[in-house]
Amino acid sequence: MRTKLLVGAALAVVAWFLPYGLDSYAIHVVNVILIFAILAVGLGLVMGIAGQVNLSQVAFFGVGAYATAILTTHAGLGFWVSGLLAIAATVLIGIVIGTPALRVQSHYLGIVTLGLALAFTNWVTNAEVAGGAEGISGIPSPELPGVDLSSEYLYYYLELIVFAVALAFGLFVVRTALGRRMRAMRDDALAAGALGAEVPMLRMTAFMLASVYGGLAGVLYAGLIRYVAPESFNIANMFLLLAMVIIGGRQSLIGCVVGAISLALVREMLVDHPTIAQLAYGSVVVLVVVFAPTGLAGLPRRARAYLDHRRGARGTAAQLGAFQPYEPAASASGDELLAVQGVSKQFRGLKALDDVSLTVAAGEIRGIVGPNGSGKTTLFNVISGLYKPTRGRVVFRGTDMTGRAPYRLARAGMARTFQNLRLFGDLTVEENLLVALDRSRTLSAWRYLLRPLNVLRRDRALRRSATDVLHRYGLTQFASLAPKSLPYGIQRRVEIARAVAADPALLLLDEPAAGLNGEEVRQLAEIVRSIRDSGRTVIIIEHNMGLVMSLCEQITVLAGGRVIAEGTPSHVAGHPAVIEAYLGDTGEFEGATR
Amino acid sequence: MVRMRATLAVLAVVLAAGCSAPGSDSEDAGSDSGPIKIAVVDAQSGQLSSLGAWELKGARLAVDEWNAQGGVNGRQIQLDVFDDQGDPTIGTNLARKIDSEGYIAMIGTAESAVTIAMAPLLKQAEIPNITSGQSPGLVATKSEFLFLNGPTSTTYDETLAKHIVDQEGIKSIAMITNNGGYGKGEHDAFLKALRSRGVTPLADQVVTADQKDFSAVLTSIRQKNPKVIFLGAEEVESGLIVKQARDLGITATFAGAAPQGTPVFIDTAGAKNAEGAIVSSPYLSNDIDEASKKFAAAYKAKFNEEAELHGAKAYDGTQILLTALKTSNVASGKQLADAIRATKHDGLLGDFAFDETGVGIFETSIGVIKGGKLVAAES
Amino acid sequence: MQVFLQTIVGGVSLGAVYALVALGFSLVYRTMGLVNFAHGNVVTVGAYLASTFYLSTKLPFALAMVVAIVVTGAIGLVIERVLRPLENKDFDLMLIGTIGFGIVLDALIIMIWGATGRAVPSPVQTAPIDLFGLRIRTYDLVVLAIAALATVLLVLFLSRTKRGAAMQAVAMDHEAATAVGIHVGRSNAIAFMIGAGLAALAGGLVGPLLYVSPALGGALGIKGFAAAILGGFGSIPGAILGGLAIGILDSFTAGHFQGYSELVTFLVFTVIIMVRPTGIFGERTVNRA
Repeated sequence: MRTKLLVGAALAVVAWFLPYGLDSYAIHVVNVILIFAILAVGLGLVMGIAGQVNLSQVAFFGVGAYATAILTTHAGLGFWVSGLLAIAATVLIGIVIGTPALRVQSHYLGIVTLGLALAFTNWVTNAEVAGGAEGISGIPSPELPGVDLSSEYLYYYLELIVFAVALAFGLFVVRTALGRRMRAMRDDALAAGALGAEVPMLRMTAFMLASVYGGLAGVLYAGLIRYVAPESFNIANMFLLLAMVIIGGRQSLIGCVVGAISLALVREMLVDHPTIAQLAYGSVVVLVVVFAPTGLAGLPRRARAYLDHRRGARGTAAQLGAFQPYEPAASASGDELLAVQGVSKQFRGLKALDDVSLTVAAGEIRGIVGPNGSGKTTLFNVISGLYKPTRGRVVFRGTDMTGRAPYRLARAGMARTFQNLRLFGDLTVEENLLVALDRSRTLSAWRYLLRPLNVLRRDRALRRSATDVLHRYGLTQFASLAPKSLPYGIQRRVEIARAVAADPALLLLDEPAAGLNGEEVRQLAEIVRSIRDSGRTVIIIEHNMGLVMSLCEQITVLAGGRVIAEGTPSHVAGHPAVIEAYLGDTGEFEGATR
Repeated sequence: MVRMRATLAVLAVVLAAGCSAPGSDSEDAGSDSGPIKIAVVDAQSGQLSSLGAWELKGARLAVDEWNAQGGVNGRQIQLDVFDDQGDPTIGTNLARKIDSEGYIAMIGTAESAVTIAMAPLLKQAEIPNITSGQSPGLVATKSEFLFLNGPTSTTYDETLAKHIVDQEGIKSIAMITNNGGYGKGEHDAFLKALRSRGVTPLADQVVTADQKDFSAVLTSIRQKNPKVIFLGAEEVESGLIVKQARDLGITATFAGAAPQGTPVFIDTAGAKNAEGAIVSSPYLSNDIDEASKKFAAAYKAKFNEEAELHGAKAYDGTQILLTALKTSNVASGKQLADAIRATKHDGLLGDFAFDETGVGIFETSIGVIKGGKLVAAES
Repeated sequence: MQVFLQTIVGGVSLGAVYALVALGFSLVYRTMGLVNFAHGNVVTVGAYLASTFYLSTKLPFALAMVVAIVVTGAIGLVIERVLRPLENKDFDLMLIGTIGFGIVLDALIIMIWGATGRAVPSPVQTAPIDLFGLRIRTYDLVVLAIAALATVLLVLFLSRTKRGAAMQAVAMDHEAATAVGIHVGRSNAIAFMIGAGLAALAGGLVGPLLYVSPALGGALGIKGFAAAILGGFGSIPGAILGGLAIGILDSFTAGHFQGYSELVTFLVFTVIIMVRPTGIFGERTVNRA
């Protein structure tokens, strides 16, 4: 931490004195590079952090620059006022361009944003107010009493300050709740939603952030070059920007900055051989994508990992601790918590669920069993909002929640785990928990602008809670590790800890014992019981009949999408329909009851 | 406490340094000995690079001729090329670069947007610039350091309208222009020339600069059955329009400015389709007069390809610059700009005499495409 | 009315080319779930190769096309091989990888053939057919016929041959396909190769219609991509319909909105995708939790 601060301070001093060693050409190049660096940070936020493929960053850039140009030359407003209005305009456009992200993702989003960027260039080429293909010249340089900003040397300091603030704000976002939630969404939007992250809102926030950076860069561009034309915002520049972010390392804002600076410098050096430069950066993009997906920013860590590997420091010495049971709480047992009423779910002719009804009382541990393909996971997906039922209702805590988005259900007090583990792969174990612990609304992100200290304070409180959760589940030693590097059983435990960290009234566990050994299953039973005793209700899908029989008070048996039996373990085990359904499938039932 | 004081001290130094603005050292524009440095800035890559390549050749030819005769005032001329990639931002980088590297004048660019972006910087650095653009936006920069090596769209289209409307008596005219910088300028200039003659075009269609299919536009024009269709678009697009128009059975004559006289246009359209097209150009062919024959022969000998308009324009522009250097005793900055403005030059394109706006030539001739070649129209 | 019909004819003509481009996108996508952003540049390479063999070595047009298709197919193989480590892992990264390949191909094209471009004379010299004032170019009919033939052959290949069936299986479930002993990598490679071949076909055919330059494929690629999505990504009939639809949409917006046509085309496209993200023939993919 200390070295980082020192390096930062040293860089700041170098940046401050940099102009003294540069001629007028070099300072101009540096000024242009800083603008690209701001753009790259914005692109890094939306693409690297939030995982939204945004190929219209260059259009945000253009909107900012054009709005400044139009407002200063046509409307006669001052530069600063125009700049502020231009950023506001860019944010509006950002919201418009981000809207498709609510419906489509990945490559679909890529082509839509690319198309909208082309639409922007097309508009400015035609519009009278934007000066057509000739562009707008004669933009006044910003005025500051006592400082002549038409001098590129002094303009550099303006840019440097804006850049530093923008980068600091970006890092602040990434390292606190909002950024964590975005990264969680990037890694697994489904799981993030199931933990209460308002995915649509987050995506819009990401686009808004990117547009603010685009707008800032645009305003600075207008003030520096004092001329705007459609060619400055073409697709080639978009791809160049993309290359900067990828080569630098899209998941690290510092990486984005390094990528922007190095690529821009290389391009400037090869300015007389642009085709060679293009060939070079294209190849580097391919190589980076294949061999170093984390880009330049990821190299130190990869190098360290490689060295550790060479030294033979295989595996981590981290030990799983014992689970510390929750304090038992008086549960308001008996009231109905969840009611599934006549739910059917159809997939193109295939009836996965057929008129399923069940009620779960608060404080219960309910087991749901059934042969493979009997619709258990589909039922979970309907309850947790991933699927909209074809017919029927889901009532949770007395409210009809049918077809509500998963994050709404999560906010209403529901949490779940997944059959095939959905941990956020690029987040640490601690961060996985932090995402779940953070129950704030994404809307409250305005605090980042107005009350940053409040954000920091809340983040510190969250980390304290995370430490408690880590300790309770015996995961303290794994806190800073990537989940993928952990043994399967520990990953299962992390996922349960994460779900409980979201403080649900109802916890849905989808095959939590799959892949666990006997000792781990025993620990699991202990954990689940303790979770229930702390006042939560648990529904568990499981194939391990021994676990179900010993753990659950009530069991619902599904077969072919229908409920064929329900009741206490002993009642269900003796039910003729159940025995028939399981015949040939497995002899587990007899084994468990014997 | 000690640390705090140290920090404050550093801060004070930094602030003090910040107050004495950096970079106030003035570079000298050109030294008195060694070669005279002239920059050619043009797109050498990308879609517009053919213009850039031609322009470089024209300038190179002129410079080599002067150097062979001992240069200017006994000093050799050094011509260096810079690639702006058609991007205004890179253009501004280059403006700073040629300034800091001591170039005293610049030839180029062929892209109006880049030239306009560079103009304020070149004006600040007092580097005269002879561009081959023809857009009205160039004149609108009001820079006394910016000169055009050819006529503006107004001249091209006034000559064209005079020929079509006044001489041939044709009033049934349709227009197709693109929304790019060049097309927009042509659109406005030709429309103005028609209006001043009391003619309203039958159709005024605008296409985008990278459009590929023109059936909608052409079919609606076909229904109006014009005698002449005016084209305001670059070589390739104009060629595509003509090809598709002939396929649709349109027999009207096409008319346009310089791009419609180029081999690229004729190749794209197909020689048969382009036949009869009326072209307004200051440089119709390589055998108009003695000067052009000499230029074309030298060009062919040096680069092993046929000379054409853009090379000729750059050749003229460079000749003017070198003449001005000679008459001003290798001045730079404002003096050099004034010398260029005062230069009267009998060039390939005609008699140059610059006015206050930096335009030096106000005349074009009418040519016709015959047998796949541009020839002077019989008048 | 005549303007209307002629506009459709013009739209269909380029639409057939968009359809071929879209077909390449869709084939690769259905097999490996990847969007090849370098596809447009492969179209350019195909156009240059075909025109080079046609103009310089005086090969017959059809033969020049075949050579171009073979060479670009090989390029497709190279792209697939390089990006193979990422297959079924990180699609966003692969997508960016193909953008990188696009940048590289673009630079190579400029290095080999220069930046200026060339006109290609039409190999079919017959005069256009006149149908009650509606003019239809014979070459357009040739393009349509070849596009139709390519589609039929592709469908036959996918449904009738063992290799095609294997590719279908990979498209449906690559894990299951691996389990039954299908070489997924080879399937992907073949998909990429055929996709690149289709791109070359589109590029070669469009050369005489337009003007071959480094910028050729970019425009065709974006429109072809939009066509594939509009038709339902991964669907073969969807690619064809989407291509024709984009061609006609383009043609009409050009007539009605003049300079603003591109803006309108992309806005309409965006709205359609928002209303129906799966396109005309696309199927809703089930998110397995």
